[in-house]
Amino acid sequence: MEEQQNQETHKKNWHDRNYKLLLLIPLAMLIFSFVYMGIFYSQHNDFFLKDISLMGGTSVTINGNTDIIALKEALVKEFGEVNVREVSDLITGEQLATIVETTAKAEDIKLFLEDYLGYELMEGENSSFESTDPSLGKSFYNQLLIAILVSFVFMAIVVFIIFKNLVSSGAVIISAFADILMTLVAVNLLGIKMSSAGIIALLMLIGYSVDTDILLTNRVLKRQEGSLNERLVGAFKTGITMTLTSLVAVAVALFVVKSFSVTLTQIFTILVIGLIFDIFNTWVTNVSILKWYVNSREKSE
Amino acid sequence: MKKLGFRIWLLIIILIVSLLSIFVSSYGFTLFQKGVLITSVEQNSTSFEQGLRQGQIITSIDGKAINNITDYSNYIQGKFPSEKEVKTIITTKEADIILYSNHAPNITVSHIPKTSLKMGLDLAGGARALVRAQDRELSSDEINDLVSITLNRFNAYGLSDMKVRPISDLSGNRFMLIEIAGATPKDLKSMIENQGKFEAKIGNQTVFVGGDRDVASVCRNDATCARIETCQQDSSGGYFCKFIFTIYLSEEAAKRHANITGNMEINATNPEYLSKPLDLYLDDSLVETLLISKDLKGQVTTQIAISGSGSGTTEDEALKTAEEDMKKLQTILITGSLPYKLEIVKLDTISPLLGRDFMKYIIFAGIAALLTASLVIFIRYRNLKNSLTVILISFSEIIIILGIAALIDWNLDLASIAGILATIGTGFDDQVVLLDESKHKVSLTLKQRLKRAFAIIMGAYFTVLVSLLPLLWAGGGLLKGFAITTIIGISVGVFITRPTFSAILKRMED
Repeated sequence: MEEQQNQETHKKNWHDRNYKLLLLIPLAMLIFSFVYMGIFYSQHNDFFLKDISLMGGTSVTINGNTDIIALKEALVKEFGEVNVREVSDLITGEQLATIVETTAKAEDIKLFLEDYLGYELMEGENSSFESTDPSLGKSFYNQLLIAILVSFVFMAIVVFIIFKNLVSSGAVIISAFADILMTLVAVNLLGIKMSSAGIIALLMLIGYSVDTDILLTNRVLKRQEGSLNERLVGAFKTGITMTLTSLVAVAVALFVVKSFSVTLTQIFTILVIGLIFDIFNTWVTNVSILKWYVNSREKSE
Repeated sequence: MKKLGFRIWLLIIILIVSLLSIFVSSYGFTLFQKGVLITSVEQNSTSFEQGLRQGQIITSIDGKAINNITDYSNYIQGKFPSEKEVKTIITTKEADIILYSNHAPNITVSHIPKTSLKMGLDLAGGARALVRAQDRELSSDEINDLVSITLNRFNAYGLSDMKVRPISDLSGNRFMLIEIAGATPKDLKSMIENQGKFEAKIGNQTVFVGGDRDVASVCRNDATCARIETCQQDSSGGYFCKFIFTIYLSEEAAKRHANITGNMEINATNPEYLSKPLDLYLDDSLVETLLISKDLKGQVTTQIAISGSGSGTTEDEALKTAEEDMKKLQTILITGSLPYKLEIVKLDTISPLLGRDFMKYIIFAGIAALLTASLVIFIRYRNLKNSLTVILISFSEIIIILGIAALIDWNLDLASIAGILATIGTGFDDQVVLLDESKHKVSLTLKQRLKRAFAIIMGAYFTVLVSLLPLLWAGGGLLKGFAITTIIGISVGVFITRPTFSAILKRMED
């Protein structure tokens, strides 16, 4: 019994001694993220790489009956992501044409298709080429950025109302923001081209992130039983179960869809990355800030 | 057996209602129905004359079973090799219809929806039209204007999931591309080709035109000022139904009305009314003539009642046509006319962006994910009952969200699926909070402990809720769909399913 107690006090003391230093890790990561995104933005003029749905590109309509699945496989091998859709007659349902949408240049895709199909593609006769505008325009991004900013402000207000405490509101917001930022950095480092689905996945992270942070803050600030460290350990047990159930579920889903759908793969990949960062940001960043606050509050009493 | 508490009964009832609204559509219970669904029938065709109608289900042709779209198109394609007239027997659920023709029946068909859930464009594909202005080349600005007017008009008409965007071919010709989920190509065609030029004239003088300059507002969806008035049989045995709705003119248009009627005389043969009527023209053809009451002579009246009628071979058909015509007229009066006459260059159906098997993969991935997450719960709490309850509750949340989606006719697309995923995620989180709190070694009753847990759950709920609100206004349909589904989902969770979980926990303890 004494051994265990000594072990526990020993463990707690390590964290008690070092929790402020631990904040240096997320701080370093945040600085790195800002710098990286700065460089990225100057190179690409946007915060992430875009796929066909966000960037627009070339749309080729090939008349006649083509095996869509085989064509898609061949195209994906050569050009990466493409959209292939079938156009059919209203009444008979007969396949009239195939539409290929890609970010590749018209000349490149034309050459490849001619090679694959074995005949020349002539505009107006057996095919047509169109350039498509991105389905989401410039105004969308500006709106989105503003909306996200407003989201964070609203969240901060609600957290403040719940805990009546600037520091804890700040900690929750910083944690959620760090989740999204670090995930975005990882996405860019991996060279993933974001689609509209990917943007949604990033926003889903807000919900997951907030859940664990609110749990943590509530257990620490609103409970009286046990020491601070005991409450932290308790919160950790609950919180890590929460994140692990989501993480495991999403990882399994990712494994299932990997070979079927690029869109779904992207969503689940972003969620996996985001949840891992959430574990880090909640239990290192948020915990350290809260502990600092509680300890300095107790000192001043 | 112990009495189930209020909460559990509530959940069961809501689940039953949701399941009903998901699986019972306007075509009845079609989960196991084989065949194809007729989505439109060309008005002046043999098919229509012989009795084929939208909404009927074809189960066989010439005695051969037609189980799906592929069967249908394969069979039909092989049936008309030459110009000779061929006999075709189409069997629907109601009757056998016999056609003699040398071409495929002028109907469009689709697979029979298994549920009443509507799928968005990306999941189900839809009708697609490539459009340009007749006799004109449109500049890039003009195309963009056209796109926003079209979007406006389609929104007013209530057509849901659609993409409208400008595209250009390699020679620089500009077109507008419209893709709509679910709507039949016939709807699309009529929406586009009708420029929707509406004029109300007395004699040769125009009193008002469609659009918000002259028409301040139009009554819709309010039975006190927009409704079907009567349905009657006419002399030839068909039916017609009369509709009527009120519009409110702008001051400028009302004054014009006063000026024109001020100079008119009373009708000699019909002294209740003025000498000339108000003629309503749609795309330059006369659709209705309204007599003007003599009390309105010279009056600046802003309220006008527009009426018209729809006809059909049965009363139901007439009612439906009348409703559609009323809706169309309302839309044209609200949005005004398209700036130029449009022509459709291409009209066809397009397959879904995400592939036909997308839904299958999602469902499969969803089940795998749900089971794995429950496994984690089982490992942590070593209690089979708890894990099973968690699965049940999460499953209920999915069913209820889908039930709501079916009830409000919401188009399910990728964004909504993401919303459902987000809901399930928070669902597991909240249930873990409840489980942990119930096992907390602290001197409080279970009830009190669960109440504390709900403080956490509510806190998280409101924080996520407000974070989603700005998304309702930004980013157009895409993010809005995600925000709405998630808001519905987490609200259902926090107020219905998760409290039920807590009630079950209490019962398990007793």
